[in-house]
Amino acid sequence: MTVSSNVKQCLATIKTIESGLSTLAINSGDEKAKRLFHEQMLVMKEVKQDIMNRVGELEREEDQYKGF
Amino acid sequence: MPDWLDIAVRVILFIIILFLLTKLSGKKQLSELSFFEYVSGITIGSIAAEVIINTDNRVWHGIIGICVFALFIYLVEIASLHSKKFRDYVEGSGTVIIKDGKVLEDNMKKEKYTTDELLQLLRGKDIFDLSEVEYAVLEAKGSLSVLPKKDFRPITRKDLGLPSVNEKEPYTVIMDGEILDEALTTTGKNRAWLQAELDTQNITIENVFLGQIDTYGTLSIDLFDDKIQVPTPQERPPLMLAHLKKCQADLELFALATKSESAKNMYAKNAKKLDESMQKLLPFLKD
Repeated sequence: MTVSSNVKQCLATIKTIESGLSTLAINSGDEKAKRLFHEQMLVMKEVKQDIMNRVGELEREEDQYKGF
Repeated sequence: MPDWLDIAVRVILFIIILFLLTKLSGKKQLSELSFFEYVSGITIGSIAAEVIINTDNRVWHGIIGICVFALFIYLVEIASLHSKKFRDYVEGSGTVIIKDGKVLEDNMKKEKYTTDELLQLLRGKDIFDLSEVEYAVLEAKGSLSVLPKKDFRPITRKDLGLPSVNEKEPYTVIMDGEILDEALTTTGKNRAWLQAELDTQNITIENVFLGQIDTYGTLSIDLFDDKIQVPTPQERPPLMLAHLKKCQADLELFALATKSESAKNMYAKNAKKLDESMQKLLPFLKD
């Protein structure tokens, strides 16, 4: 596997975590837990953005592996 | 009126009266009988029994007797609500039996408690060794309340220094195949959500014996048909934890592998972010 595809896989997992945290934040009954899940979801969003930028750079470098 | 009919009518009448009176007096009468309530309970019962069986007695006399007795108890309860002194006198107060780990023999004698009875009550609290007890009170209702020494108390999250986590009580939303709308609304869900949850598990509502929603909004169910395997609803949070760990490790790996300095910094920074986030989420995702 290429570096690019590895990074893309990681990006997908981050997206899974983000959506999972979002679900938990909505469903949780406890206010404190709700807030924590929401905050961590925002952290995931930042991480996701960084990795997405990196994916863009990688695609520019290795044009043959340009994917979705 | 024949005797048997007379008795039957009396029975029904007194059942209704006693039922109404016990409803009025509240749950307290049932759970913690103080001396006064104990005696009055017996007396009211005897009056009812006497009037029912002995047809020579007038029904009205029995009813008056019971009602006045109940009224008196009611007044005593009202009075004891307002005055602590009165309450202590009527209902009694607790007696300290063990203090600083030492048995107070004088107080035991006062309450006419033998050593065997004390040990028996302690055993009821899962304490077999007297040295485990720091403080014990014989309550007015006759039960023993025990404070074990700190070393013998059950370990808690606080003892282990774990971060504090609060969980709300689970709500029962399905009972005997019927949806309990009130509980469902309290959790902030609706019937459509419930139906969707059940559909994902391929279950019809009629087959559900009991369904509960926990603090994280997961639905756990028990079916009438025990042969059908229900997937455990706790799957998601641990899976998420595994995902987090994987991502964090991946990012660290990328940071080591890449030659670009800016990308290295970016990966390292985000790996750290994920690590921090994992530490915060750990107490919530782990059961």
